[in-house]
Formats: sequence, C-alpha cells, structure tokens
Amino acid sequence: MSSIIKVEKLSKTFESKERKKGQRRKLKTVQALKDVSFEIDENEIFGLLGPNGAGKTTLIKCLTTLLLPSSGKAWVNGYSVLDEEDSVRASIGCMLMGDRGLYWKLTGRENLDYFGALYHVPKAVRRDRIDKLADLLHVKDFIDRTVETYSSGQKMLVAFAKSLINDAPILILDEPTVTLDVPTARELRTIVKELNESGKAILYTTHLMHEAEELCNRVAIMDHGEIIALGTPSELKTSLALDDTLDLDGVFPAKAVEAVRAVGGVTQVAMKSKNGGKTSLSIISRSGGTILPQIIEALTHNGATIEQLRPKTATLEDVFIAKTGRTLDVDTRQIVVQRGESGGGP
Amino acid sequence: MHTFLDMSWKTILEYSRYPVAFIAMFAQIFLIVFMFIFATMAFRAPGEGLSNQSTFAGVMIYGTVTNLLLSFTLWDVGFSIREEQVRGTLESLYLSPARKFANLVSRVFVVLLWTGVMCVFAVLVVAAVVGGLPFDNALLATVVLGFSISGFLGIGFIFAGLTIKLKESAQLLVNGVQFFFMIFSAQFFPFAALRSISPAIVDYVSAWLPVSYCVDAFRSLLVGLPAGYPELAPLSVEIPIVVVFGIVSPIVGYLIYKRAERSARRQGNLGEY
Amino acid sequence: MEGHSHGFGLASPSWRANLDVVVTVLIARLKVISRYKGSLVMEMFLPVVFAAMPILLGVAVGGANAGQYFQANTGTSNFKLYMLIGACTFSVVSIMLWLVGYWIRREQETGTLESIYLAPARQVYVLTGVTIYSLLRALLAFLVSLVIGSIVFGVNLLEGNVLGAIGILMLGLLPLWGLSMLFGAFIMRVKEANSVINVMTWVVSFLMGVFFPIAMFPPLLQWVAAIFPPTIMNDAMRASMLNLSTFFGSWYISLAVMFAAALTVPLVGYGVFTFTGRSVRRKEGVGQY
Repeated sequence: MSSIIKVEKLSKTFESKERKKGQRRKLKTVQALKDVSFEIDENEIFGLLGPNGAGKTTLIKCLTTLLLPSSGKAWVNGYSVLDEEDSVRASIGCMLMGDRGLYWKLTGRENLDYFGALYHVPKAVRRDRIDKLADLLHVKDFIDRTVETYSSGQKMLVAFAKSLINDAPILILDEPTVTLDVPTARELRTIVKELNESGKAILYTTHLMHEAEELCNRVAIMDHGEIIALGTPSELKTSLALDDTLDLDGVFPAKAVEAVRAVGGVTQVAMKSKNGGKTSLSIISRSGGTILPQIIEALTHNGATIEQLRPKTATLEDVFIAKTGRTLDVDTRQIVVQRGESGGGP
Repeated sequence: MHTFLDMSWKTILEYSRYPVAFIAMFAQIFLIVFMFIFATMAFRAPGEGLSNQSTFAGVMIYGTVTNLLLSFTLWDVGFSIREEQVRGTLESLYLSPARKFANLVSRVFVVLLWTGVMCVFAVLVVAAVVGGLPFDNALLATVVLGFSISGFLGIGFIFAGLTIKLKESAQLLVNGVQFFFMIFSAQFFPFAALRSISPAIVDYVSAWLPVSYCVDAFRSLLVGLPAGYPELAPLSVEIPIVVVFGIVSPIVGYLIYKRAERSARRQGNLGEY
Repeated sequence: MEGHSHGFGLASPSWRANLDVVVTVLIARLKVISRYKGSLVMEMFLPVVFAAMPILLGVAVGGANAGQYFQANTGTSNFKLYMLIGACTFSVVSIMLWLVGYWIRREQETGTLESIYLAPARQVYVLTGVTIYSLLRALLAFLVSLVIGSIVFGVNLLEGNVLGAIGILMLGLLPLWGLSMLFGAFIMRVKEANSVINVMTWVVSFLMGVFFPIAMFPPLLQWVAAIFPPTIMNDAMRASMLNLSTFFGSWYISLAVMFAAALTVPLVGYGVFTFTGRSVRRKEGVGQY
C-alpha cells in the first residue's frame, strides 16, 4: 500500500514573550514539533494520541497548510505542503479541534453550501451532498436553522459535515468527539469507520485512548513534540508484555508511594486523583505477580489504605505511562512519581 | 470592598496590556477636537481669529466633556456586560461569590479615572489652540459634574440590563442613544443652534431630557454665565434637576439591571450571546 | 457517498468554479447582513447625524451669516450640502476600510478563517466576493444617506453635477480598496485591532477634510492630505456638486492624480496584504486571535 501522507523530520518552533511578575518580558522559544517523521497508508485510520500540548494540533496545522513548518517536509496525497498548497487543500477534508468555523447568522445548510463552493464542488452536487450528509449525520431537524441557535454538539456535527462536503480522499479529524455526548460520539466513530471502509484515509487525533484503540489501525503517541511510540495498538501493548500493570484504588500517602517506588522490579508509578479525595495508583512492574506481596507491604506499612486492587491488561495509556511516567490526563490533575533511572525512556 | 479593589485592579491590568488602545484613545480625542475646531474655523467671519472664540470654544469643549463621560459610561459600563457575554466570561463571573454590584462599581471607578484623564487632555488641547479657556465657578461646576456622572451611571446600568436581554442588538441601541444625546442634548454646540433650526425640538425634546440640563448647567458655569447662559432654564431650576437626576437615576438604573439579570437567570440565558 | 468530484483536480478549478466562489461569498454575506437589519438602517442614518453636528456648530458660530462666512472660507455658501457630501463620502471610506480591511480579522474573531484557508479556493476570489459586497453596501449607504440628508437639511442634490460626483466616487473606490488592503495587513500584525481602527477612522476623516477644506491645514499637512486618495475623491466630489474648484486648481490634475492612485495603490496594497498573510502563517498560523 502506498503512503497517502508522508512526513519527514518536520519541526516547528514558536517564539513567544514570557511575562513574569517583577521581571522584564523575555523571548521564549517553544519547540512544538521536533523532527517528526511517519507515513500514513491509503485506507488506514491513523491515530495521533497524546496529552494536551503534545504537538498534535501543531502537526495537523502543518499538514493542512495552516501553519508553515520551521523545517522538514511533508506530502499529502503526493503534494508538498510547502509548494503545492492548493492541491493539498483540495485533497483533504478537515475538522479542527473546537471547530468554531461556522457563520452564526447562516443556517447549517447555508454554511455547508458556502464552504462547498470554496472547495469548488459544483452547485448541483453540493445540494445533493448536503441532503445526504444531513441524513447521514441526523442533522435534518436543525440544518435549516441559523447556527446561533445550535447547541455545541449540533455545531460539532455540522462542522463534521463541513469536513465531508468535498468528499476528499483524506479526512483529518482533530478531537472530533470532544463536545459530544456519549451516544453521539459513539455514532460519530461508527461513521468514521464507515468512511474508512468506503476508501478514505483518516488521520484522527484524540487524547482518549479508548477511541484510539477502537478506531485506529495504527497509533502514534506524541509527547513534547515528538513521536515516542508508533505501531498498531496491539503491537504497542505487547511491547509492555514484559511489564505488568496493577491498578489500586484507595488513599496513598506520599511516603507509601515512595516505598513502592523503592520495591525492586517496579518500573513506573503514576497516581491519578479521583473524586472524593481518593486516588488511583498505576504500578508498572516486571513480573508483578511475584512482587505483589512486597508492593502491598510497602503500601500498608506506610499508612496506605487499599480499597481495590486490579491487575489489568495493558492499555495505550499504560504505554504512555511507561514511556513518559505521566498519564494522558491534563497535567494539573497528575501526581506522578518516577523512577529516575528507568522512567521516561521508549 | 475587597472585591471592588480586586476587580478594579483586574480592569486596570487588562487595560495596561493594551498600550495601543491607550494611545489610540488619546489620539482619537485629539483628532475629534481638531476636526471640530477646523469645522468651526470654516464659519468664522473673515479676519476673525480663534482667540475671540474662547467662550464659544468653552461651550463646545465643556459640552464635549459631558459627551465623553456619557459615551464611556454607556460603552464601558453598559456594554461591558455584552463583552463578557461574547467572551464567555459572564457566567464565570456570576458563578463566583463576588458581589455583582462590586463588579459594576469597579468598572465605574476605572472608567471614570480613565475618562477624566482624557477630558483634561481634550480641554488642554483646545485651550492651547484658542489661547485659553474660561474656567469660572469651578467648585459648583464640579458638584454639577459629580451629580451628572452619577446620573449617567444610572443610564449605564440600564444599558447593562438591556444588554443582557438584547444581546447583539444592544450595540445598535447604544450607538443610537449616543447620537440621540449628541444632537438633542446639544453636547457639541449651544442649544441656540438647535433652536434656530427648530424651537420645537428644544422645547419638546431637549427640555425633557435630564442630560440636557447636566450639559447646560455644567458648561454655563464654567464659561462664567455670560448673557444667554444657561440656555434652557435658570440655574436655580437646572441645578435641582441635575441633583435629583444624580440621585434617582443610579437607583432606578441599578434596579432595572438587577431585574434583567434575575430574569436572565430564571430563563437560563445569562451566558448566551 | 458517491464518488463524484473528489478533491483531486479541484486544485485547478475552471473560471466557472472561481466565479462560483465569488458569487457564493457575496450571497452569503448579503444573507448575513439581511439578518442584521438594524445595522443597515443605522448605516443609512449615521452620515446624516455626522453632518448635523458641524452644521449646527456652524449655525452657532456664524448665526444668520453662517452661509456668508462659509462662502468666504470655502467658496460656497451651501454649507449643509458641503457637510452632507463630506459625511456621506466618509461613510463610504469607513465602510470599505471596515468591511474589506477588517475582513480577515472578523473571520478570525468568528473562528471561520481557518476553515477558509483550509479550502483550495484562492484568497483573491474570496476577497473579490468580499469586495463586491462591501462596494454594494457602501454605495447603498452613500446614496440613501444623501437622499435622507437632502430631505432633512432641505438641500437640492440636483443643483450640481451628481453624475460626475458618482463617477469620481467609482474611480476613487479603486485606491480605496488598495488602502483597505494595507489597512488589513496592518491589522493582521496588530492584536489590538479595534482601537487602531477607531483612531484610523478619525485620522482618515481628518485628512479627508470631511467638514472643512484642507486648504485650512498648515502647508505640509495640506500636501500630506492632498496625496491621500480619499481626500482627492472627497474634494473632487464636492467640487462637482457645488461647482467649486479642486484643491489642485484644475480638473485635469485631480483626475490624473486619481488615475495614478487607482493604478498603483491597489497593487501595492494587495502585495503587502498577501506578503503579510504568508508571514503570519509562518510565525503563528492563521487562526491565532
């Protein structure tokens, strides 16, 4: 199968002014992408997984020509993103994260007609296609109302329809289910699968690992502007085969967590806060079954209360934790303890 | 008080991060003043210099001061609610335990501070061009201005309430009201000019607007009460009108604002824009 | 989904497809403004309100001799029509600057700019649609305000050469479009666009001599104002409708300057605008607001 998207050492650096109290403003350089390289095959759903700030949206913007990269190259449908921008744009349908790209005072139908014209879709074809999209996405009830009357979920559905209006061979979806309720999100994922089966290549970004596992043929995990792991979901999870994951719910004082860290064989420890002041501890270790008694002893002798204990099969989030020592949740909710000598490496 | 200081500081901090806006507003005042000065020059008798026009210039610029105060009150107090709606921060503001009145009052404080500086600047520019302006009865004029500002704030509060209801139409209304007062409260020219066009406009429209008395009393006092000034009514009538306006307007304005806010919360459309 | 008109090939659209872009953009904008009727109405009355202020100011200064004094300073006693023409011309300038110069910013604010850039439609055709829309709005506002103002102030529009004035207006729109592009490029760079626009609006009205002849300026400022295309346009329109001489003295010179501006300013403006757009895309991406 040939590559429909090819990225070669793509980098992007931003400059911004940092303002700290009592200090002069300093110029700060942020490297949002660092030498990213990968290929996406035709008829593939390729997932881009990573926490907020990993560089997923920056990468998407470079591939869709909204942002010019600082260095490196990329080709979309065989066209260079640097030199053949119009052809790249004609080859993709795109839905950006938190897409607000609709005119409030136009109806959903009028918006789709407008953007269809910008994609040079002939008028008669547009009309037909809008009707079909309205059926497909179940937006017929509100498509003829102005967008200002829509809920956020309805706006997202019309924005999704907008990405399909030009029937492009490549679909780029940046966190498309972020404001949808569970049933609608599930329905959208079904539609994404059907679109892939009809012949479209799809680049799908998400920070929800269950979405990536459900939809994607292959997944690239990004962190701090780099791809830290790439493969099929099962390949990535198998890479942790030597490692076991143990999830515990309860209350874990800092010294208990330190004590677990010190147990031989434990490779990563990550803590997530939950409602009601409780926490969940993920412990990745080699042959966790043998060292389980030591883990429990380390916890209980240091004041921890274990309410539930669940050994589990590895998930993509575990792969992320193994690589980075952090969870996919937003940073402010993390409480992380790493083993210095083995934390973070691929 | 703590909330008031916090919110005032937040507003000042916001303004300070827009230096271009800062400078632009000064430049705007400068240009508006000069435009009207040049327009006036086109009507002066041949050989007549600007220095003979200090009374007229005083009438014009002191009236402009009331226009600036009213405009900024309408926009920065009345319309600020709309800005919060559009930015999506209004609901967050309402979710906080901070008192809403403190929120409004803090805006007022910063707006007045800022507008006051610009008014002084505008007066100095005109004084420089015409070679000096009359500045009599300063204390009484300040008292009149104080009650006038209080009355304008009441109008601002009414608009804040209307904005919650009208949403994007509010901008249109604010524009319309601004222009209405510009013309019918004769903020840039004497009422005599309006009367020469149509006495009925002055008698049946201008004379029924409290803002007209604020404008007339304030500038008449500062230009030294020459013959024909104040133009609408004797000072002994105008000052009580201004005082009553200054006391009643903010109370009524705030009640209307609270009512609109309560209604929006009942209907659940506080955050809608 | 049928397989018709895939993305491939639509990067090289025919002239029909490009025309379709222009027409669709125009119609969409007309639909949007038709849903803001109040704004349209306000646009018609605003020039009349603006003209009223210097008129009333003039009456206050000159009293019964206002017309006479005005004639001594400007060459015409018809100060009401003089102010009305200035205010209406200024409204055209203001509408063009706002609608054309600010269109990128407005698309950023509404979040639709990225969607526009994602499409293969060339920006020049989208811009053409926006420009035609702006022209229609500007001309409508100009004509309607002129008529309303003539009724309110009791002036006879047909006294002078109205068709000549409209011809001058049409010629003046070209350099005005170019200025709007320069304006737009500036706005893309500056984050605090609204305050800049507000002051630019007053700078423009000041330099145009909306309410007074620019001959009243100090000499250096006179020449700065005189090479500003909207000033020449305003001056020539007033000369046409009030039988005045132009700032340059002779008709031919005014027309020649206007033609030169019509040829050069749009090209310079568009060049700067597209260069700035590319630079912004390189640094921060188009969606940043």
